[in-house]
Amino acid sequence: MVILQLIINAFSLGSFYALVALGFALIFGVTHAFNLAHGELILLGGYLAYTLAGQMQVPFLGTLPVTALAMVIIAILLQKLLRRVGQPYELNTLVVTFGLALVLQNTMLMLFSADYRIIQSAAPAIELPYTQLLLTRTQVILIGTSLLATTALYILLRKTFLGKALRATIQDREAAKLAGINVRRMSLVGFAIGGALIGLAGPLYARTTYLYPSGGTEASLIAIIITIFAGVGRIRGILLGGWALGIAESTTVYALGTGWRELVSALVLISLLLLKPQGILSRKPKAARLPG
Amino acid sequence: MIRTATSPAVLGFTAALLFFIFSPFLLQDNAVYYRVMTMTFFYGALALAWNLYALTGNISLGHAAFFGLGAYGSALLSHYWHLSPWATVLFGGMVGAVYGLLWTVAFGCLRGARFALATLASVEIPRVIIDNWESFTFGSLGVVGITGFSAVRVGSVSIALGESLKAQYYLLLCCTLVILLIHRQFIKSKWGWAVRALREEETAASMLGVNVHFTRSVTLLLSAFLTGLCGGVYAHLMGLIEPPLVFSLHISALPLVLTMFGGRYLVCGPLLGALILYPLDQVLFHSLLPVGHSILYGLIIIVTLLFFPHGIGSWVQRRRTFS
Amino acid sequence: MNIFSNIFKPIVSLVVSLTVSVCSAGAALGNSSPIRVGEIDPLTGKLAKHGQEIHEGILYAIEQANSTGGAAGRKFELLSRDDQSQPEVAINQAEDLIYREQVAGLVGGYVDSLVGPISELAAKHQVPYVASASLQQGLTLGRHNPYFFRVAHLQGVVEPLCSFLIQELKPDRVAVLYASTPGSTEFGQQVRSCLLDAAIEIPIFEKFRPGSPDFSAFLLKIRRSRVDVLISGGFFADHLILVRQMKEQKIPLRAYIGPWGIAYPSFLEAMGEAAHGLFGMCAWNPGIAVAGADKQSRAFVEGFTARFGKTPNTTTMHGYTSAKALIEAIRRVLESGKELTGDNICRALRSLDLLLPMEHLQFDLKGDPKHYQQVVVQVQKGEMVTVYPADRKTGEIAQPSSE
Repeated sequence: MVILQLIINAFSLGSFYALVALGFALIFGVTHAFNLAHGELILLGGYLAYTLAGQMQVPFLGTLPVTALAMVIIAILLQKLLRRVGQPYELNTLVVTFGLALVLQNTMLMLFSADYRIIQSAAPAIELPYTQLLLTRTQVILIGTSLLATTALYILLRKTFLGKALRATIQDREAAKLAGINVRRMSLVGFAIGGALIGLAGPLYARTTYLYPSGGTEASLIAIIITIFAGVGRIRGILLGGWALGIAESTTVYALGTGWRELVSALVLISLLLLKPQGILSRKPKAARLPG
Repeated sequence: MIRTATSPAVLGFTAALLFFIFSPFLLQDNAVYYRVMTMTFFYGALALAWNLYALTGNISLGHAAFFGLGAYGSALLSHYWHLSPWATVLFGGMVGAVYGLLWTVAFGCLRGARFALATLASVEIPRVIIDNWESFTFGSLGVVGITGFSAVRVGSVSIALGESLKAQYYLLLCCTLVILLIHRQFIKSKWGWAVRALREEETAASMLGVNVHFTRSVTLLLSAFLTGLCGGVYAHLMGLIEPPLVFSLHISALPLVLTMFGGRYLVCGPLLGALILYPLDQVLFHSLLPVGHSILYGLIIIVTLLFFPHGIGSWVQRRRTFS
Repeated sequence: MNIFSNIFKPIVSLVVSLTVSVCSAGAALGNSSPIRVGEIDPLTGKLAKHGQEIHEGILYAIEQANSTGGAAGRKFELLSRDDQSQPEVAINQAEDLIYREQVAGLVGGYVDSLVGPISELAAKHQVPYVASASLQQGLTLGRHNPYFFRVAHLQGVVEPLCSFLIQELKPDRVAVLYASTPGSTEFGQQVRSCLLDAAIEIPIFEKFRPGSPDFSAFLLKIRRSRVDVLISGGFFADHLILVRQMKEQKIPLRAYIGPWGIAYPSFLEAMGEAAHGLFGMCAWNPGIAVAGADKQSRAFVEGFTARFGKTPNTTTMHGYTSAKALIEAIRRVLESGKELTGDNICRALRSLDLLLPMEHLQFDLKGDPKHYQQVVVQVQKGEMVTVYPADRKTGEIAQPSSE
């Protein structure tokens, strides 16, 4: 029974990781912009939801569309900024967004103070019938949203014309250009969708962990790790990668102790990179390059 | 590329060098100047050491592993066996190099983003082990009371490196110059051309007779050794280390930022980044805005990189080409 | 090679201008000039919350001193610096404050690993340093540093906690979770040794990295090993997650004790109902003050709330207390007509005997406070009730909700 509970918790943690990573993965895949300020944007979404929920009594699920919309606008602004970055693009965006992360962190420090903020969930946990397994409302939302977002993104990428163009851009920019795809417009679309995903992750971040101005670094790290773990441009891989990491961490904590959590996830990550360098779902070789 | 003694290049460099050598005579005991400039040289050295490997085209996000291992290797050796810091710092460098050797074995075939990520993750391995091996490494309590550098006797003069800020300033200046020289060789020498060929096109480089694996490995070992050395120096300068301090993301990321800011293909690029950003931040921004200094720091990085994608050094270079 | 000259020209000019600015300050300290007090705290970054709180406490003490006329007709001036939680930054900024700004004394400091280097620097320049929230024992062991003082220490936390556990709660099995920071690790080790002495079992003794997003697997282990008390040496943010997950997973515990981070008004506000029944520790809080300082404590809460628009907490009070000690020592030196030197201030600090809301402040020979003792509080219906020690008790222990 304990093991089943552990698995439920691990899946919910993994879904949380995946949600944090989705926006980053899409933006990195489509535009190759290495957005280190990703975590700060998530926090910004979280703060927005916190303000809405606290001051205007908006119900939690009601904050999601608002933050998603707000973050789309911010992501488009970010795209306008990063468009001006010169070659080598990945490295330069990495450094520029490093600076941006510093600016955002300290602006948030001034705007929202250094206090920790959380969005409380008052509802009690649901006890699954005939078992003693507990499923909290937050866990339901996490697993549900991550599945929904992944499916929606998957359908968008696989079944629509826009998705085809986006995937072509992810796979080979030059070839996509030759095929008549407006790569610059695709980059705008990538940022917009990525922004919406970031806006989705923000409130959930505030509800699962807590908000404070310099908490973005951890979120960015999670996003980077899961993205490359999954293989760039592989949306289903993100969810699987998140779950794999969630399970690895939970079992480590349970079996070895909390102090070894980071070590085991690092080992899992490294061995995966060595064994399946193109991501967990890889079949054919193709990966993004952090430039040289 | 004319290297005559009278070329303006050599003159400029010599002028700067002379300034750093003789400024202490003008300033006497200006403690702030020594402290800040010592750390500036320190981060300059760290950035130069990092860039050695970055020149091969693989960006590492895990140099904190070498740094932390160097710091711990050096501090623990001096704690348990009471060896002179001069010896332990070298040992620290070697510990870093050993971990670098593991990298070449394990990550030898990784490139690009996957390499960056693997290195990022590999920092956690020594960090968590040191954090949990309390009986030997003191775990989260950190190593405190690490002995400072012992005095050096030159003829009849004894230089107290442990206490004198001025002596530490010169020590770090010398270290940085040595690493700068190595860095210069990596850009200008035949070896440097091999490295550059690797960066541009690995397959072509191997066709041209560059031993890809060997070149990469040796470069990484050297970079790891020098970073470990810096870690050892840091441990003895600060007198205390803790896992979160020496295995921090900050140590891995700062060299990258300084290098990109200064110009990664320039001999002095990484050092230039440190020389501009570090004193500016520590002396000016911190005292101007105790809470908002990082905003200025971030803005400077953004603006510089938007206008000079190859670093601020490239601006100087470009201005020269056009004039 | 041609690049060199052009690269170095701007550097040289930059360094020269910095040097000039470094040199130009200082000097010109007349008799009516303000007395400069330097503060170094983590004002930004991960520890910004507590750094800012200490800063506000110090700022309030300085403003209070100035509004009552300063010291011997001279006003105080506070110079704050950020240490970014890095020792080299702390050293640079302390050096800058001492050398360029010529401060009379230093206060502040939240992390032991940064307090240590600053205290050494203070000794080197013979400037007094009163640390606000330093705990580690190693800092005052070994080499004697006559310029270093602090208003808190770890025994003041561990001793009351252990006697509370042994005398009041009398648990059978205790789990100890501590953060991988020096202070928390030392805390964990000391609590373990005192519990083992009292023959209390500790089936779980683990460390974690502050900032972990998930404790559910750890909590499952707590449930399985049937401990009745969990002592969590994490910080404010860690309790937010741990307590919430504990409540969500309905982990049966007789007591949850968090020495740092629970006894904060903002924590009670953030957690709401979920905080009910938790135990925390504090040296001071609105309504919780040492005997005889109630009036002073109330005045502080009122004044502080009017000035900053928020309720002060125990961290704020640590900052206030440390600044108060330094201010009082400086005032005594000036009023006795002596010269304001580091040695004179340190002498005054050593002979200080102040009744402050947080503690009856006297320093021993090592610079440690003689009477620093925290109390155990329990959250009951959104209020903090002191439950230990007996002489400061304001209520009985409420058994945790048995739903």
